[in-house]
Amino acid sequence: MEYRDYYQLLGVARTATAEEIKKSYRRLARKYHPDVSKEKDAEQKFKEVQEAYEVLKDPEKRAAYDQLGSEWKSGQQFRPPPDWASGFEFSGGARPGAGGAHGFDGEGFSDFFSSLFGGASPFGSGARRAPRQGRDHHARIDIDLEEAFGGGTRTLELKRPDVKADGSPDVRAHTVRVSIPAGVTDGQLIRLAGQGERSAGGARAGDLYLEVHVRPHRLYQLEGRDVTLTLPIAPWEAALGATITVPTLGGPVDMQVPSGAQSGQKLRLRGRGLPGQPPGDAYVQLKIVVPPASSPQARAAYEEMRAKLGTFDPRADLGR
Amino acid sequence: MSEAVEHYEVCLVSETDWIGAGEICALCRLDLTAIAELAELGVVTPRGTAPAEWLLPAAALPRLALAGRLMRDLGVNVSGAALAVELLESQQTLERQLKRLEQLLSP
Repeated sequence: MEYRDYYQLLGVARTATAEEIKKSYRRLARKYHPDVSKEKDAEQKFKEVQEAYEVLKDPEKRAAYDQLGSEWKSGQQFRPPPDWASGFEFSGGARPGAGGAHGFDGEGFSDFFSSLFGGASPFGSGARRAPRQGRDHHARIDIDLEEAFGGGTRTLELKRPDVKADGSPDVRAHTVRVSIPAGVTDGQLIRLAGQGERSAGGARAGDLYLEVHVRPHRLYQLEGRDVTLTLPIAPWEAALGATITVPTLGGPVDMQVPSGAQSGQKLRLRGRGLPGQPPGDAYVQLKIVVPPASSPQARAAYEEMRAKLGTFDPRADLGR
Repeated sequence: MSEAVEHYEVCLVSETDWIGAGEICALCRLDLTAIAELAELGVVTPRGTAPAEWLLPAAALPRLALAGRLMRDLGVNVSGAALAVELLESQQTLERQLKRLEQLLSP
């Protein structure tokens, strides 16, 4: 695994005070928080900042981390020393924030963090003796709109703190294939019972909650269970009305465009959005595309329109 | 050595459900006082009398979870989180409208 320089990640000196660390974390969290940030790789950067703060805000973890020395550089190959964390006195009990800012035992954090401070380490929940129900874990899952519509399967690699035969802390990867139900919407939660934190002393394991995020789609915009598509149409289709084949998530359907349709007008295809009880609708927003007058025939057609529709004034409402 | 892949059937927390206040607290990692304050500020409309016995709409989970994340990760208080949730939702709506208009106006 690779060493992580938590001071460098938070942009503070090794001598920084708790207040300076907090201030720097707040600034970086605001910059990279996935719910508010437009930065590239915001989620990854936010996790790194969170992980660094999780260690440096806690005097015990920070002291243990400092014990590794200042010679390490980020990215260097690293193994926890065999006597890791021995000689420390722990405050004991369930410390607020112990094991991850999201209430995880290092879930979503690096292997470096998990091996030093995860559940199986002397800092993690594995060190606590009393039987206790495992905590719920939360994670985010990004899916495509097609998967939200039709469902699908996704293979997830979950990391769990564990203990090696020699008693040293370890992180074990556990692969789970998850069925994504059809009709799942943006922000909805999927529960995987018993896939959260393992329990201590035989109590019930926690659950894993996956919060669904639907990626933006090239054609459709999602709002709740409704989807909107912008549909280009020819001027004569708008003027005279037409039956047009429209792509929807469930496959193409024929739609009647009424005569006299205008650009921006919305038509509804009931029940053609995401499945559910009730299913969402598909909205088709019309966009009239004017063909270029690039050939003698096209110019002649426009000339004829001007001659025959000369009384039409699209600027009549401007109050000239 | 490759590890066996376990196929897992999942349970969807349905948005048509009403969920007890205790479960909402666990799902959104918020305490009951914070949920009660968020309800006072109009972020969620509960059913029932005493907060501990409230039922809350599962459809409100995303915004309550967002409020929880903002409070935990950014250190904002309940009022700040409620305001941020409304502004972020409004920003999302405007971004969607902007994208539609851009599609409509693009050549």
